[in-house]
Amino acid sequence: MAGSPDPIRVAACGCVTPLGDAAATHAALLRGETALRLAEVLGRTGGDRVPLGLLDGRSLDETAPPAWLPALRTLNASIPAGDWGSPGRPVFVTGSNFGVGGLYALRTTGDPKFAVWGAPPTCTEMLRLELGWGPDVSILTHACVSAHLGLLQATRVIQAGLADEALVLSFDFLSPFVTGGFHSLKILNSGFPEPYRERGTGSIGLGDGAGFAVLSRGRGEWLISGQSLYNEMHHFTSNRGDGLGFARCLEGAARAAEGRRVWFKGHGTGTLDAGRMEIAAAVRAFPGAPVVGWKGGLGHTLGSCGLVELAVAIEAVRRGRAPGTHGGSGEAMSDAVSTGVLDTGAFDGVVCASNAFGGAHAAFLLCDA
Amino acid sequence: MLERHIQLLFTDDAAGEAPAATRERLKGLFPAGATRRMTTLGMLVGGALGRLDPGEEDAIVYASGYAETCALESFLDSFPTPSPTLFQTSIHPSAVQQLMIGRQRPVREFLPHSGGALLAFHGLRAALLTPAARTLLCGGEERGTWLLDHGLASPRTFAFAMALADNPASGDAGTIALSADPGLGELGIAEFFDLLHRRTTFDGMVAPGWRLRLRWR
Repeated sequence: MAGSPDPIRVAACGCVTPLGDAAATHAALLRGETALRLAEVLGRTGGDRVPLGLLDGRSLDETAPPAWLPALRTLNASIPAGDWGSPGRPVFVTGSNFGVGGLYALRTTGDPKFAVWGAPPTCTEMLRLELGWGPDVSILTHACVSAHLGLLQATRVIQAGLADEALVLSFDFLSPFVTGGFHSLKILNSGFPEPYRERGTGSIGLGDGAGFAVLSRGRGEWLISGQSLYNEMHHFTSNRGDGLGFARCLEGAARAAEGRRVWFKGHGTGTLDAGRMEIAAAVRAFPGAPVVGWKGGLGHTLGSCGLVELAVAIEAVRRGRAPGTHGGSGEAMSDAVSTGVLDTGAFDGVVCASNAFGGAHAAFLLCDA
Repeated sequence: MLERHIQLLFTDDAAGEAPAATRERLKGLFPAGATRRMTTLGMLVGGALGRLDPGEEDAIVYASGYAETCALESFLDSFPTPSPTLFQTSIHPSAVQQLMIGRQRPVREFLPHSGGALLAFHGLRAALLTPAARTLLCGGEERGTWLLDHGLASPRTFAFAMALADNPASGDAGTIALSADPGLGELGIAEFFDLLHRRTTFDGMVAPGWRLRLRWR
């Protein structure tokens, strides 16, 4: 393997959320706005009202072609042009949903027009043709750490000398399939998410979101390093009670961050046990680092949260101001939780972390190049 | 060129076997009672991967285009009162998680891939790029029912798992290598499985620009 120690840079990065592009989303979070609104959990079928963040004008009910496609076209327009998907410029598509809303619509209506966007291979092939990519388009899907896996694979392909640049694109758009699933687990309920806050019952919100990053060997303002993963394999939906997985995952990012003053962009969905364990691990790995979580404003953008929130983090560093933790006003789980705006000029790096079903954990360090 | 030595390989071609027969055949590989909530794909992948005794420092690369098709179908059928168990089970990497959670065996790197015509290449490339001393490349599909009617499931049921290492050893089963090549071609995951299952020597294109060499001892 033609290995290379060259640092990997983020040459371009962007996102789309119900609050707008990365700049608009960052600005909205600074103003304390939230994308979440109460909506019926199964769309037109009804059900309990739960906090969802849907793109402006988009219904939870699926259309054919998907109503989220224009948002991806807009996002694609901000990706630097290139022969993406050619052997030297691979694409890594990640997410946890792909077009699964199409499967729900197919099952509930019987209309075959919904089928083609329904499964990861068919959805990605449609997207590949839509966006004019070549054939080298990998798909990685591992629930809510999916985007991190795409960033890691892109890094490895570049470091091995197989490519000079790689595109990672992640998208997750809500549908009754996923809202119904999380509602059945009782963590998507009528409460709005209050990440890292002590309260009686945990609640999450879900949000539409997509993001991209172009990773490069030679160009870009930001260095990405310390990428690490850990999979507890303890339970399908919950973590080990001792927080081991959170701690083990952060070891790589902590080594990369030695000697730096960092802030910590956590996962923070609004569930209680996971929030406490994440905070405890972050405090141990990065003493003195303020912790922020944005899913109270964005909702959980699922497999894409790692890229969506990376784009917001980059915007925060560019502007010198990082939004504080969104949601609620009760007691924080730790003094490390920052609810006010952070002056990012006081730091020289941000650790970005995500967690997922199955006790999966992922993290990396982002610094100025 | 990216190359690894195949230390061990296990394959399972359920071919025309009914899912109930597959489950009956494989249930002895798992602790008593553990198979009740396992999917057929979980039992097949777990049966092959489990024999490699995956450990914390191994990297696991999983390749499946459609993954938990039957759990997905059942979850969709459970609306408007969706089943939380089927929701958990229907997620893409569930087959590997069923084994590993059953064993309470953490693993640092787990890289689940989906894909179409180039899935074998993408899984192989990921497996040959991990820094782990031992990488376990596994995969499989299970035949769907109504999703298959819409072209959204595999028509076949199979699984494989192989242990790959940097250094050769006397008991190796073979070698696997990817190299750049200007040619065109592709190799689906089912075709890749057939090469493994029959221990077929192969020297051909696996993706545009990439050649696969598979040699057996």
